[in-house]
Amino acid sequence: MRIHQYEKIWIAGAMILIVGFIVTITYGSVGLGITMIGDEEETIAPDELNDDEQFGEPRVEQVGENEYAAYVVAQTFIFQPDPIEIPANNEITFYVTSRDVIHGFYVPGTNINAMAIPGQVAELTVEFDEPGEHGLICHEYCGSGHHTMEGLIVVQSEDEFDLTELSAETPDTVAPGEQIQLNATVENGQLEPLETTVNAEIGDQTFQQDLTVDGKSTQNVTFTADSTQLGVGEHDWTVTVDDYEETGTVEVVSNETDEQAGGDES
Amino acid sequence: MTALFVDEYPAEARLVKAAFLSSFIAFGIGALFGIIQALHRTDIFRFIDSIKYYTVLTGHGVFLVIAFTIFFLVGLYQWAVTDSLERGPVDIRFTWFWYGLMAIGSFLAAISILAGFLEQPPMVLGAELRANVLFTFYAPLEANPLYYIGLALFLVGTWLAGIDWFRTWWAWRDENPGERIPLRTFMVLTTMMMFFLGSVGVIVSILVFILPWSLEITESLNPLLTRTLFWFFGHMIVYFWLLPAYLLWYSVLPKLSGGRLFSDPLARVVFILFVLLSTPVGIHHQYMDPGIAEGFKFIAMTNTMFLLLPSFLTAFTVVASMEHGARQRGGEGRFNWLQALPWRNPAFTGMALAGLVFAFGGFTGIVNAGMNINYLVHNALWIPGHIHAQVGTATALTLMAGSYWLVPQLTGNRLVGRQVALFQVVLWFVGIVFMTNSMFRAGLVGVPRRTAEPQYQGFEYDVPVGSMGELNAQLALGGTLLFISAMLFLVLMLLTVFNNDSEPIVDGTLPPALSGPEDSPQVLDNLRLWFGIAFALVVLAYALPLAGIVAQSGLFGQDIPPFPVSSEAVMYLEFGLDYVGALVT
Ligand code: HEM
Ligand SMILES: [Cu+2]
Ligand SMILES: [Cu+2]
Repeated sequence: MRIHQYEKIWIAGAMILIVGFIVTITYGSVGLGITMIGDEEETIAPDELNDDEQFGEPRVEQVGENEYAAYVVAQTFIFQPDPIEIPANNEITFYVTSRDVIHGFYVPGTNINAMAIPGQVAELTVEFDEPGEHGLICHEYCGSGHHTMEGLIVVQSEDEFDLTELSAETPDTVAPGEQIQLNATVENGQLEPLETTVNAEIGDQTFQQDLTVDGKSTQNVTFTADSTQLGVGEHDWTVTVDDYEETGTVEVVSNETDEQAGGDES
Repeated sequence: MTALFVDEYPAEARLVKAAFLSSFIAFGIGALFGIIQALHRTDIFRFIDSIKYYTVLTGHGVFLVIAFTIFFLVGLYQWAVTDSLERGPVDIRFTWFWYGLMAIGSFLAAISILAGFLEQPPMVLGAELRANVLFTFYAPLEANPLYYIGLALFLVGTWLAGIDWFRTWWAWRDENPGERIPLRTFMVLTTMMMFFLGSVGVIVSILVFILPWSLEITESLNPLLTRTLFWFFGHMIVYFWLLPAYLLWYSVLPKLSGGRLFSDPLARVVFILFVLLSTPVGIHHQYMDPGIAEGFKFIAMTNTMFLLLPSFLTAFTVVASMEHGARQRGGEGRFNWLQALPWRNPAFTGMALAGLVFAFGGFTGIVNAGMNINYLVHNALWIPGHIHAQVGTATALTLMAGSYWLVPQLTGNRLVGRQVALFQVVLWFVGIVFMTNSMFRAGLVGVPRRTAEPQYQGFEYDVPVGSMGELNAQLALGGTLLFISAMLFLVLMLLTVFNNDSEPIVDGTLPPALSGPEDSPQVLDNLRLWFGIAFALVVLAYALPLAGIVAQSGLFGQDIPPFPVSSEAVMYLEFGLDYVGALVT
């Protein structure tokens, strides 16, 4: 085959350029330690998501020192959980799947980008240096409401961030003379023990108790108030732990007949 | 001056005209939908419901990149085969048969898309008639079965067209034993080999999985599998859009420049490289997909980079041929020869500008192909920027420019409004510069593609230079210029068709290459060999990923039901309630 001299030079140049691109990209994706989305994760059938340990309750979980996992379910036309709260300066691994059609998982202007395909789990690890809020959008057409599908990633400073959950309850009604028991449950989702103080108020009575909740566990606290002192009528109660607050009401009724022990959780 | 194509091959000319007519109708509707999108997305003028935006977008994709491009391709290729073999098809009834299949197929697909505008679409084949699934129709989004049937018929028609040209060539070979395949026929045959190989993916996806599932014959499918099969086809198809433009650049552009093609052998090498490499790269569209191992993505990336080679070679040959032409016309100097080119000829100028945009678009393609950089731009507006530079201009503008040269030969009429035509191609160029500039930049700040309302509640785009308003204005301005340009083109074509008592002033002869087929080794014409190697490469690139996907979640997936996209929210509501119910219990 007759090839002109210039052509030969051009072809050689083109080949060098091509190999150069391949080398740069390989370095950019392997050498710099950026992990790509691959097939490491197990598959999961969309109709089994509700029973799944991880995706049954989409959430953020601490999995190691400075390491968190975020289980995210995309479905028409929302992300769960929303907002996704994560700490800054920690390694966050997102596990993203879809409950119905193919969706996208994209934080605009960043390289946080994955497809959420029903049956598959996309895994991507990121770290945010600064606290702040980032929009999260679905960037694959998923049906008529596609353009409304967005979520929020809230990056909190490490000190501010916790995985504490508070719940509290009292009976709806008590008879005069009976004790009013306020049960508060504090859950610590982080691995470090949580040292905190529980403050409570029932009517005009106040309580306080220091509490240490071990990593990944739950503690109960019970406060007891005397209904006679509070008197007949409705009384508000409040429990606070750090920034969390639970409130409700309890009624002291004179009539002995309607005494039902129903839980009241606000 | 030889006889006109229409005088020499009137029967074939009729078919080419029919194909061009279908192509131009699709182009007109597609362009109309394009400007609607450009105005809607940017919130400059919204006169349709945002839900209907997706009907428009589906139409834009299907009418432009399926109907406009491929109808033009079959017309152009019919011309190329007939003209270069100097004979018609073996049986012209077969030729009309495949054209008919394509026409019916695209008609069915078109009505199922357009029915999306109706408030109450009729029931067809047991489901509401609609197809708001875009041209990629990722399952489990579901369209009416008619849409898939239409697409399948269209693809089968295209297959038969390829078989028809092979038959013509076989017949010619028997009459001309030992002769080299004429270059244009060579290009047609290699393009079709590429198409045969690559379209297997989408045909299997439609006929085995999606169509039976939409007809409720099967109950479930594997969305990653159908998506992967789509992209098996999806990258090949971009070269299927491009190669008609290449054919024109290699055969007509040198002549328009006043010279001859630089090298026939290299042109053949280029087309063979496309046969070999254009399919085993499809996974580069799935870098973000879970369920496909990194290694396979890596292989796709490497193949993609090698696929740059034929385009680099083309850049050389095209520029060298233009320079040769310019020097024949008296051009001199290192760069001054550029002035000697026939810039007043709309066919030439259109193709030259298209080539320029293609070179730039090629670099944006390299960005897309980089596995790591792709994370920034995947599914961002950057991608339609790339699309419009490539198929939307490199191909579309070349086809329009080519029409200015070819249509007079097909009709026997003189081109009406040569000056206007020149203005039209330049206008397209200006429009595309504005529109893609906006799309590239908006994509880099994360504005997503395929979205009716790319403004969100929770955040604002961080535009470093300029502002979102400025980007939107550019997109709308560019889109409007493109739309005007498209309409001008169609008007000129229409006027030309009815410009009956005129003599075309086109010379249809194409001079032979400077370095002719005698310089190219015989093995280049061994089509069987190249097809065999191409097949092997596809097996190498795809066997393992496909096997992996099937092994993970089965051939038919894990209970994945269809999600019909209708304008009603009922289905989603039901589904949501189901879900909430499950949470409560
Ligand atoms: C009249 C000129 C045109 C205008 C104003 C226009 C406008 C647009 C816009 C604004 C989008 C982005 C839509 C979105 O992602 O939300 C788009 C997408 C697209 N355009 Fe065009 N376009 C034009 C011509 C063309 C041509 C000539 C072609 C190809 C031959 C083309 C092919 C495409 C494709 C393939 C997409 C992507 C569709 C999808 O995401 O499903 N366009 N166009
Ligand atoms: Cu979406
Ligand atoms: Cu591609």
